[in-house]
Amino acid sequence: MAILRGALRTIWFVRGICSVRAIGSGTLQGTRSRLQVIHHPALLHLQAASFFSSSSTHKRHQAHTPENFADHGSEQEAAEASGRPINRAEKEEEEQEQEEVYETEEELKKRILTAALEFIPEHGWSVEAIAAGAETLGLSPASAGIFTKGAGELVLHFVSKCNAQLVQLLEEQQRQVQLGQAGPKEKAEFLRDALQTRLRMLAPYMDSWPQALSTLLLPQNVPGSLKCLSTLVDDLWYYAGDRSTDMRWYSRRLTLTAVYSATELVMVQDSSPDFQDTWAFLDSRIQDMMDVACMAQRVRSTGESAVQGIMGAAITLKNLTGLNQRW
Amino acid sequence: MCRCLAKMAASCKTCVRTALLDAFAFTRGALSSRVAVRTYASDSRDGEGMAHFGFQTVPEGEKAEKVYKVFESVAQKYDIMNDAMSLGVHRLWKDALLRIMNPLPGCRLLDVAGGTGDISFRFLEYVRTQQERLRRRAMRMHQTPSWQEIAASYTSEQATVLGGSRAVVCDINKEMLKVGRQRAKDLGCGTELSWVVGDAEELPFEDDQFDIYSIAFGIRNVTRIDKALQEAHRVLKPGGRFLCLEFSHVSNPVLSRIYDAYSFQLIPVMGEVIAGDWNSYQYLVESIRRFPDQETFSHMMEDAGFFSVRFTNLTAGVVAVHSGFKL
Repeated sequence: MAILRGALRTIWFVRGICSVRAIGSGTLQGTRSRLQVIHHPALLHLQAASFFSSSSTHKRHQAHTPENFADHGSEQEAAEASGRPINRAEKEEEEQEQEEVYETEEELKKRILTAALEFIPEHGWSVEAIAAGAETLGLSPASAGIFTKGAGELVLHFVSKCNAQLVQLLEEQQRQVQLGQAGPKEKAEFLRDALQTRLRMLAPYMDSWPQALSTLLLPQNVPGSLKCLSTLVDDLWYYAGDRSTDMRWYSRRLTLTAVYSATELVMVQDSSPDFQDTWAFLDSRIQDMMDVACMAQRVRSTGESAVQGIMGAAITLKNLTGLNQRW
Repeated sequence: MCRCLAKMAASCKTCVRTALLDAFAFTRGALSSRVAVRTYASDSRDGEGMAHFGFQTVPEGEKAEKVYKVFESVAQKYDIMNDAMSLGVHRLWKDALLRIMNPLPGCRLLDVAGGTGDISFRFLEYVRTQQERLRRRAMRMHQTPSWQEIAASYTSEQATVLGGSRAVVCDINKEMLKVGRQRAKDLGCGTELSWVVGDAEELPFEDDQFDIYSIAFGIRNVTRIDKALQEAHRVLKPGGRFLCLEFSHVSNPVLSRIYDAYSFQLIPVMGEVIAGDWNSYQYLVESIRRFPDQETFSHMMEDAGFFSVRFTNLTAGVVAVHSGFKL
């Protein structure tokens, strides 16, 4: 009975995730619906593959490079990171401060990408936006060629920036709870608020977000985007208070990834004021997630007791028929 | 009549036979001397004031003159010989260089050792298609522009066919430039293309002028490569890109032997038969062997002050595209 209910709950949860398509189909434009169909099944398939190699998701991946493209700069960037600086001083600064401003190549790349974010409404997530960003920093537009993966690097930069911002906010919240200034939240409520905060960061770029999602699915960007997604979900569960060390670690992260991606897709084609429909969808998915977890627990205990009952009946039968005696 | 033809055939045969015998003698000599020669390949000079001219060593002052004479004599048949020697593949190499360059409308190109203008013509074509694409995208987004926007678009530089891009072809050799200008006239290019006589080691331009500096199959002819790299660094704007397309080192031993056999035995013969100039094409294949390999040239670029230095091998290392940025 509990098993039947558990099965029904799981089916409801999966249907809830799949209802993303049903909600969207009425209001979609042609291109977006094609994107949804491509994105949704492919992403779930990739997630399943990534979570069973959990040890590698937290190690640092080197960016995937094609075979005959030797990145001479990668050793140089490592040298930069370890302290060999570039002189970026402008003449006025030199005259005023009489000291030179140093920054590494990585920092310069980050600055260019951050500057490029302003031009996304005009140019979309593309190399033209990066070139426009470089121009505001006083560099020639040809410097957009530094980014070998082009638009993918811009999207990944934005996604990791949002994730870093979220982690900062969650740290702040945790400190407040530890200091006693705020009460601890329930897991469901915490996840709901954290996911809403994270998704609201996408709101200014919602018009071009489908283009960004499809860029993240290109083969050269997939390792980077999967890494960002998995670290985001891991951080969310950690700050929610998950310290499990068994299969629940995997199942929790898998379900939360599914909830996050589904909600993102709903948000992309949501036209209600302040994304009300999206938050309602998010609430129901989080509720289902919690119910499924509860149900799984009850199914397990029911199953155990059922097995014990059957074993007892079998032993009694054996005693009655006299098969259990040792001569 | 028949006797004349027979005499001509006989003389041709003896000519080709002597040519082939010479080729064999040279290759045998070249093979034995190549081992000794390779150890010096990393230095651009053997001793004080001496430079390589193919496998010979000549005083520095003489090398520039000898190279000038070589290109003066091959200028008329340069394009035909390129097609014959590389079996047309040089077009693919130059297209690959343009794809890596990915110029945006508004970029200014300095095509050094541009000679007959191959790279510049491709650059202008690329920028033209990019500008078309951007204009079409802008029109799709702005379905109903106001009359102010329409008027502004007529006057802005971005409304021109090339979006303000310009290409300057610079070569030390007037004959090569003459051939290039004739080609430009046939193609109907206008003011966006300029032809300048100049030495790569001492460019007649001011600092910070160009977005992209490209040198295709020219840098191995320069007497002092480090000086040419420093000049490139000088004339580029901050953020500008240096691109070098050059014959390079084939690491695969099997391919290397086939390539050497083809270079030393067939190319000078083709030079004699098609262009009537054995020595120039002998110099060509020898100068390829003298040029430093991919890694060494990358180090030279870094010494000149370029950052994010990378190289891509084309055709298994026969040709390599080096790219660096002035940051």
